[in-house]
Amino acid sequence: MKLKQIFIALLFALVTLSSSAYAEGHDETTVHQEESTTKKAYQPKTLSELASSFWETTGIKAIFDTNDGEMSADPAGEAKEHKLGAFESSFGRIIMILIVFTLFYLAIAKGFEPLLLIPIAFGGLLANIPLAHMAGPEGMLGVIYNMGIANEFFPLLIFMGVGAMTDFGPLLANPKTALLGGAAQFGIFGSLVGAVALGFDIQDASAISIIGGADGPTSIFIANRLAPDMLGAIAVAAYSYMALVPVIQPPIMRALTTKEERQIKMGVQRPVHRLEKLIFPIIVLMLSIMVLPESTPLIGAFAFGNFAKESGVVDRLSDTMQNSLINTVTIFLGLGVGSKLAADKFLVLESLGIMIIGLLAFSAGTAMGVLMAKLMNKFSKEPINPLIGAAGVSAVPMSARVVSKVGSEEKPGNILLMHAMGPNVAGVIGSAVAAGVLLSIFK
Amino acid sequence: MAEVNYVVEALKFMVLGMGVVFLFLFILVKVVELQAKLIAKYFPENTPPTPAVPAVNVTEDENRRVAAIIAAVTEFRNKKS
Repeated sequence: MKLKQIFIALLFALVTLSSSAYAEGHDETTVHQEESTTKKAYQPKTLSELASSFWETTGIKAIFDTNDGEMSADPAGEAKEHKLGAFESSFGRIIMILIVFTLFYLAIAKGFEPLLLIPIAFGGLLANIPLAHMAGPEGMLGVIYNMGIANEFFPLLIFMGVGAMTDFGPLLANPKTALLGGAAQFGIFGSLVGAVALGFDIQDASAISIIGGADGPTSIFIANRLAPDMLGAIAVAAYSYMALVPVIQPPIMRALTTKEERQIKMGVQRPVHRLEKLIFPIIVLMLSIMVLPESTPLIGAFAFGNFAKESGVVDRLSDTMQNSLINTVTIFLGLGVGSKLAADKFLVLESLGIMIIGLLAFSAGTAMGVLMAKLMNKFSKEPINPLIGAAGVSAVPMSARVVSKVGSEEKPGNILLMHAMGPNVAGVIGSAVAAGVLLSIFK
Repeated sequence: MAEVNYVVEALKFMVLGMGVVFLFLFILVKVVELQAKLIAKYFPENTPPTPAVPAVNVTEDENRRVAAIIAAVTEFRNKKS
């Protein structure tokens, strides 16, 4: 009985006090309360005071009592913080949390790139927690963000791991297919024109259009340099389109090719000498040093990873790069990018534009790759299945797998995977080169 | 006027960007083809031996080991009987 009485009294006190707190003006009370937790010596409190101070710190109040003057959680520090609007700190958060749950659904039930979407979405969930400031400069997500994303470190580590995972054998066996990886970069520059026409600032437009390369790390790298404010939306768009490769690409591929073309069988690839594979990363690096040193951070990390793999004498290192290191960095990168899913960063009209332009960029890249492959098939002695052009976007190895799947659906037993890997890895190099060109323009 | 200008600028970027990307990949293709020729000329047919040499060694080792084991077992049995 006593317990029940105390409980009722507590509830009563809570209701009256919270309403009185409303009346007095909430800004003062929250500020006062925050200070008292850190500095002031403890003073005896009545039970109702305790209950009310607890109520002040609940998420329910923080979400529904919108005028609490909370600051935006920007990892860049105090200079960039602004007071959250009523919408951002209430319904904005709820909307973002719903978006996050949609991402969870896509990752788990649909299997869309779960390795990235899960950390990104969970980072987004944490970033939208009221009062906790997890995405702020001192919060966990903010620390991660400042540690490796704000200074472009994590994307380079990812590139290193991708390099260590990439086998250039298919590209070396049939070097001409590298040009397909170049054609697909049309997605980047085509959508750049589109974004500018839509009214984006030309520098922002460049950062957005790199999504067309379908390369997450490159997109983050460029967004950081050219449009840091849009990093969240750009990274989310880039990674979601990478995840949506199996949905976006096949219709475009089918629309642009005839049935006979899709059924073309490609010959067996020649065996590749070990020395060729060993020298290749050095050649790529030398070329990029001569042509555009701007993109050597990306290509350099990539070449290092690949060289370590092909040298064959540092298996421990290359093993670390392609497994533990890239996994660790993926966790950090995902959480850090997720911190940009905070309501005040993501729920702006620009995000919608970014998503749309990103989709166009990606589709244009796919289409151009397929068309280029058709053209090459006309003039080449050996038959080239136009489907492999779609793998020119650099989503490794998803788009190559998609190409292979579509090919074997058209003609069972027609395995295009290795042939598609050529343009696919060339696409990685191509989008890094395109990134270097964009950087050189805005130097 | 200004906006028209920007679209034209973007088109220029496109020409430059696609040009550089294709040039880069074209040079890459040529260098790789040259490299393949050179390697085929100066280090001929090294591809099958490289993986094959250790493989042969392994099987030879394996055979020797098996032979040794068989010999030991027969020896042992002979002594026993």
